[in-house]
Amino acid sequence: MPKITIDARTIDVPKGTSVLEAAQLLGVYIPRYCYHPRLSVSGNCRMCLVEVEKAPKLLTACSTEAAEGMVVRTDSEKVKAARRDVLEFLLINHPLDCPICDQAGECGLQDYYMDYSRAKSRFPAEDKVLRQKRRALGPHLVLDNERCILCTRCVRFCSEVTKTSELEVMERGDHSFIDLKEGKALDNGYTLNIADLCPVGAWTSRDFRFKQRVWFLKKAPAVCLGCATGCLMEAHYNDNTIYRLVPRPNAETNTWLCDRGRMTYKAAAAGDRLSKGVIKNGLIDLEPALREAATRIDEAKDAAAVLGSPWLSVEDNAALALLAGGMKTENYCFDFKFETGIADGILVNKDPSPNAAGAARVKAASGGLNFEEFLARLSGGKIKLVLTEARAAGLLKDALKASGARLIVFANNRGEIPAGAYATLPYASYFETPGTFINYQGLERRTEPVVQAPEGVKPLWQVVNKLSAYSGASLRLDSAEDALKGLDKK
Amino acid sequence: MTPFFEANRDLLIFSGAAALKVLVFMGGIMGFAALLTLAERKVSALMQDRVGPNRASVFGFAFNGLFHPIADAFKMIFKEDFMPARAEKLLFTLAPVFALFPVLALFAFIPFGDYVMVYGYRLELQIAELPTALFFVLALSGLAIYGTFLAGWASKNNFALLGALRGAAQMISYEVALGLTLVGLLMIYGSAGLQDMVRAQGKLLFGFIPAWGVVYQPFAFILFLTAAMAENKRTPFDLVEGESEIIGYFIEYSSMRFAAFMFAEFIEMILISMLAATLFFGGWQVPYLYETGFILPGGKALALNHYLVSALQVGSFTVKTVFFSWFLLVVRWTLPRFRFDQLMGLCWKVLLPLALLNILVTGAVMLFSGKL
Amino acid sequence: MISVKKVNNRPLNFLERIYLPEIARGLAVTMRHFFKNLFSPKNILTIRYPEQASPLPGNANLRTLHRLKIREDGSPKCVACFMCQTACPAYCIRIEAAEYPDNTVEKYPAVFDIDLSRCVMCGMCVEACPEDAIAMDTRELPGGALTRAEMLLTRDDLLRNLPGEPSTLGAANRLANEYLEGKK
Repeated sequence: MPKITIDARTIDVPKGTSVLEAAQLLGVYIPRYCYHPRLSVSGNCRMCLVEVEKAPKLLTACSTEAAEGMVVRTDSEKVKAARRDVLEFLLINHPLDCPICDQAGECGLQDYYMDYSRAKSRFPAEDKVLRQKRRALGPHLVLDNERCILCTRCVRFCSEVTKTSELEVMERGDHSFIDLKEGKALDNGYTLNIADLCPVGAWTSRDFRFKQRVWFLKKAPAVCLGCATGCLMEAHYNDNTIYRLVPRPNAETNTWLCDRGRMTYKAAAAGDRLSKGVIKNGLIDLEPALREAATRIDEAKDAAAVLGSPWLSVEDNAALALLAGGMKTENYCFDFKFETGIADGILVNKDPSPNAAGAARVKAASGGLNFEEFLARLSGGKIKLVLTEARAAGLLKDALKASGARLIVFANNRGEIPAGAYATLPYASYFETPGTFINYQGLERRTEPVVQAPEGVKPLWQVVNKLSAYSGASLRLDSAEDALKGLDKK
Repeated sequence: MTPFFEANRDLLIFSGAAALKVLVFMGGIMGFAALLTLAERKVSALMQDRVGPNRASVFGFAFNGLFHPIADAFKMIFKEDFMPARAEKLLFTLAPVFALFPVLALFAFIPFGDYVMVYGYRLELQIAELPTALFFVLALSGLAIYGTFLAGWASKNNFALLGALRGAAQMISYEVALGLTLVGLLMIYGSAGLQDMVRAQGKLLFGFIPAWGVVYQPFAFILFLTAAMAENKRTPFDLVEGESEIIGYFIEYSSMRFAAFMFAEFIEMILISMLAATLFFGGWQVPYLYETGFILPGGKALALNHYLVSALQVGSFTVKTVFFSWFLLVVRWTLPRFRFDQLMGLCWKVLLPLALLNILVTGAVMLFSGKL
Repeated sequence: MISVKKVNNRPLNFLERIYLPEIARGLAVTMRHFFKNLFSPKNILTIRYPEQASPLPGNANLRTLHRLKIREDGSPKCVACFMCQTACPAYCIRIEAAEYPDNTVEKYPAVFDIDLSRCVMCGMCVEACPEDAIAMDTRELPGGALTRAEMLLTRDDLLRNLPGEPSTLGAANRLANEYLEGKK
């Protein structure tokens, strides 16, 4: 355990810890561009130079291992001058096109310039080395080489994290630039992490490009519902619109976020968002749609069935279980078995649903059929009507077609509605309403509402509550937590 | 003709005539008051080298702002009728009524002409002939204080209450002075009936000067006008309102309730103008005009139709009223507000002694001239 | 410390003390104005805004109606950087950015609205603009509209150059000129 002194404060750090990490433990921030905790150390940006006693020159904090009795200064005049000079170097050829740069507001160059330099440029604008401006690379990214400071975070990400090695630094010296390797395409499913990683505006997201200035964005914690991994993420929103999703790094699940997961916010604001009920193919107000669905459920009596969904939160599944109880049917199922595990070695799970474990919890409390039994009953014609969520209905596709049972589904978007659905009821997505999800590791993840649901669209438990009132088996739920309580009672 | 009509013929005709007079006279006053609100803004504008309101228009015709009173009325009607949560509901509602009722009732005693013969009936051009009208005028104008004071008190607002307190002090004080200034006139005319007073002013003094009240009592006229303006609570006596500091007793009023206060103020202005005309400027009298026509001091005569004479008399009264209303407007836009101590000092230390002195002098003159 | 200045006013003489002659003098002044203006309105100073407007003095240095400058190629100088919208204390600017498919400048405002009914004419937007694209030098005074819609300036209302322009100041202008040269 080497003992290291940074700015007159001493700390014991594990062997192998760099000076930068040791300083971080002490709460001393050392500026950095190329250093990233999840990538290998390259030490090329020189921003983290610190003064180490007995060392003849300044050392890079990121690549210097903390040693016993080391005395480090991060606030000496020498360090300050070094930072100022490094910034001057980095800014020599920088185009200063902040007005049209999406990174402005969260840019390492802007921040550090204001914090550590504030020096006037000594290089005339005419002498700047011009490089290639805007160029679309891959489906999600735009590269602007003129803004690049060659920290190589993107190169290291592609070779170390995705192990696809699409990017490389070409040429040398003033002429060096980041480029794709011959014959490669930047399409590894995690490319948007590069836009996050890039400390300057060289890599920007094509999806987010020019949509909103970052300083207008408000941040709210969210959970990715793209698969059973349940990555934590942060939704950036403004004026009731989500503009992007970025990872919320945590030790349990994720540092990064896959491209597909980042695009999940689009469904919430998509043009085919349902705000009314659908009977067969015609839009109809929610109330009559609810009444119609309730009538059909009552008609089917004990041949009606409820299928929970691994795409719904624990609360909403519990509400569905209560509804099944109120309908006095034995045909209900909260049993979903998917193969779990990280499919690609990074984040994407084999289980495409976010909450199979949560549905299992509801099953443990309220019982119900196995999925096979449910399928058998459906195929056997014992079930005449199925009430479920749109994506869960996809699991029954063939059996439904064969048995000809009526299908009533809950859906967010029109595109989700399975073919042949008799009635569709809208519900608020989990960007708009809170919910609990349990990922493949058994970790409970809670989503909080980020934006408001379109007018008239209610959380699923409320829709179920209303449906129960119309079908005469009133549940009287006042909150999502009520559904959980009701389940415990059972 | 039914027996009932036969039996009550006189009463019915009297009632019908009274109702007609009320309708015509009151309608005229209401219309005039509405025009005064415009006049106030126009007169002040002209005095200050401005144009004044000129925007309200009907189908693009603005007529230099003639439609503003109508626009104001619509605005007042459609404003939110607000009442503070802690206000005294009943009194808050009654206060505007108390403010408006006395000033309207007072017009009943003002003669706006002599009389007209219609189908052989003599139609007095005065709504109610009362031998003690002057006392009634003073008594009713005393009631107007209630409007001010109740409004300020019922609003439960510090500023309103402050305005109301100032109002009560000011109006009660000036009422004394107002009453005393008129005693001289009572002594001269020997009657408290307003029609009697006007008729008495039809005489000539020394054969050529109209015997108007202002000739006998010039001093009392100035005192009366001052006290009456103070009763009216307008600048320079607008401590009650004090729009630059406390807004006054009606600060919590809005919509038509506020309109009632505002209207009461303008109607009171008309009332003062009419009283000034009636008491000091011969009322409906036109100099040298008698029932049969003009008879000039030299002896020349011009015979006129009875209806023409009546029309001239009513016209004369109207012109005098309009003049005094205009004069009050000019005074209001010329003089700055008094300080409260100055206000009270003016009343008790100046107006009151002078009014008493006026009575004394009048009495002395009458005694020595043998008129008594 | 309060400094006290004693004002020794001339004591009022008798005529002034009885007040009435002074009132008459005051009334004479106001009545003179009244009758003068009643019969010949030429002394009335009122300018009937918005139908009439008083001309600004030639040396007036003030913030007037906004405009957006135009580059040589006819595109707006504005690059939709949102600095003005960020700086605006009255939240009266609304911008929606869009991207040129080929121009080097990349970004331009598809929507640029200034709500004059909210604008406080503080000039912060002009101060904030890094491209010298917005200016308040038209010497036109905004206002005098009867509807809210008239108070909303859109991009097309705002875009105009003054005589002697377009100027070539501003970073994005350099890029635009480069782009134009490349096309030649």
